[in-house]
Amino acid sequence: MSALVFELKDTPDQRLDLSPLVPERLDGLSHKDIKAIEISTTRETLTVGDAFKVKGKNAQDIHFYGTDERCDKIGARLAGGEIFVDGDVGSQVGARMTDGKIEVRGSAGILAGASMTGGHVAIRRDAGDQAAGPAFGETMGMKGGLLTIGGDAGELLGERMRRGLVVVGGKAGDYAGGRMIAGTLVLRGGAGRYAGYGLRRGSLIFTEKPKDILPTFSDSGVMEFDYLLLLEKWLRGAGMRIKLGGRARRLMGDMAVLGKGEMLILA
Amino acid sequence: MPKLKVKGITIVETFAEAFPMVGTRIIITAPTMEWALISARIMTGFATSVIACGAEAGIERTLSRKETPDGRPGVAVLLFTMDTEKLQKQLRNRVGQCVLTSPGSACFAGMESEKRLKLGGPLRFFGDGWQMSKMLGGKRYWRIPVMGGEFLCEDTVGMTKKAVGGGNLLVLGKSHESVLAACTRAVKAMSEMPDVITPFPGGIVRSGSKVGSKYKGQIASTNDAYSPGLKGAVNSELPLDVEAVLEIVIDGLSADAIATAMHAGIHAIAKGGTRNGVTHISAGNYGGNLGPHHFHLKEIVG
Repeated sequence: MSALVFELKDTPDQRLDLSPLVPERLDGLSHKDIKAIEISTTRETLTVGDAFKVKGKNAQDIHFYGTDERCDKIGARLAGGEIFVDGDVGSQVGARMTDGKIEVRGSAGILAGASMTGGHVAIRRDAGDQAAGPAFGETMGMKGGLLTIGGDAGELLGERMRRGLVVVGGKAGDYAGGRMIAGTLVLRGGAGRYAGYGLRRGSLIFTEKPKDILPTFSDSGVMEFDYLLLLEKWLRGAGMRIKLGGRARRLMGDMAVLGKGEMLILA
Repeated sequence: MPKLKVKGITIVETFAEAFPMVGTRIIITAPTMEWALISARIMTGFATSVIACGAEAGIERTLSRKETPDGRPGVAVLLFTMDTEKLQKQLRNRVGQCVLTSPGSACFAGMESEKRLKLGGPLRFFGDGWQMSKMLGGKRYWRIPVMGGEFLCEDTVGMTKKAVGGGNLLVLGKSHESVLAACTRAVKAMSEMPDVITPFPGGIVRSGSKVGSKYKGQIASTNDAYSPGLKGAVNSELPLDVEAVLEIVIDGLSADAIATAMHAGIHAIAKGGTRNGVTHISAGNYGGNLGPHHFHLKEIVG
């Protein structure tokens, strides 16, 4: 069965709330029913049919084409199935999702994977601020699953993150891992200022030494971490070849708070 | 009916009687295969029989770097007991005292099931609050700080209630040397079979037992019917020219695994034929009244 395809007709004149376009909501609906779903975010009503050409049938495999940074909440609360996006996406892609996979070929806006609890969000290019952070109204950020960002991440990556794994291919902005409660960030291109600010538990893994390290992180020296070997092999199984090795310098912190988190800087 | 023979060795028309057990598999890794094996051997030490050891355990096989979760050399270990509670206790104690303590070791689940045993869960408290939990792909791992660095241990491991213990072969021969050589071949052949272990020293038991004793409180005693030195005094099962009998006990995660291992073992024993001194292959049972699993040699050989 062919994928259910949504092709953006034109640049919309308002931001779109695409959170209804997830498999569990669309399964069994006719094209007519799907086109009637409201996706507007202003007083001016806008339906799927107004903004998108709709093709295909398989609601477990949804494809978006021609999307831009105004297409918000793609795959928000996704509970299964796959979503493929050929283009950029707006805010909250995969926010609060519990399972399934979202693949974005372009860049994402703010709050990508915010408060997600499971599944995989893969963003090929950049992600905006607060990726893996707390979704609106939530007290905690990402609570599980995997978020991969091929390019750079904005500020406050993984803010108040509780669990899960984030891998950033490029550079992360300021306050990466800020107030993190637990979880793991793998940062391949370093981070801006104040990385690990308020870190309670959790791990920030740097493949290169970061420029600035908060003075409230305490050096424990270099040692072997079998966990890094486990993580490297697991990432390889998930399609990511990242050399972590087993040796790293461990800095514990943030001593200004609980201090049971760590930065692991590969040695 | 003609006697069943394999390469001239008589296959006694009897059966091995085996019992239900519960079992699990863990994977121990280390910086080198030598250290993985040291850890695994210590963990499976004093685990020949549930009669007095609390568990039956052994090394199933070694694992290449490709087969282990952390990409280091590893060893798969099987552990069996009579019930889940005992299995949990033995697992915790043995991993805690023998794997956690072993330099460079890490410990992972080697099987999946809905019902789980705690593996790293109870051991994390050794970290005294400095332990870290890590979730990867839905599995929880514990990183426990130790003097040698860090002990990495998966939180839980699967188990099976369909394990079988006490599959066995008795090898009869004209000399101790010949029987020992035949049993050694059999154990080697069985070690290449999946899901089984032979928990006794080198996989071989020289003191097979019967249930009960003339002495009060002794739950098992020498198998006099198979003791060569008692041929003239008891209702012996041995021909006069048999000088030694050795037994191979097999525990497995399933009855099929035991049957497969017994098949491999019988053919490895028979490889040398009768010229090496082996005369009979038999099996131990209790009349079929105790264990629900009966491995008939006639069927196994086929």
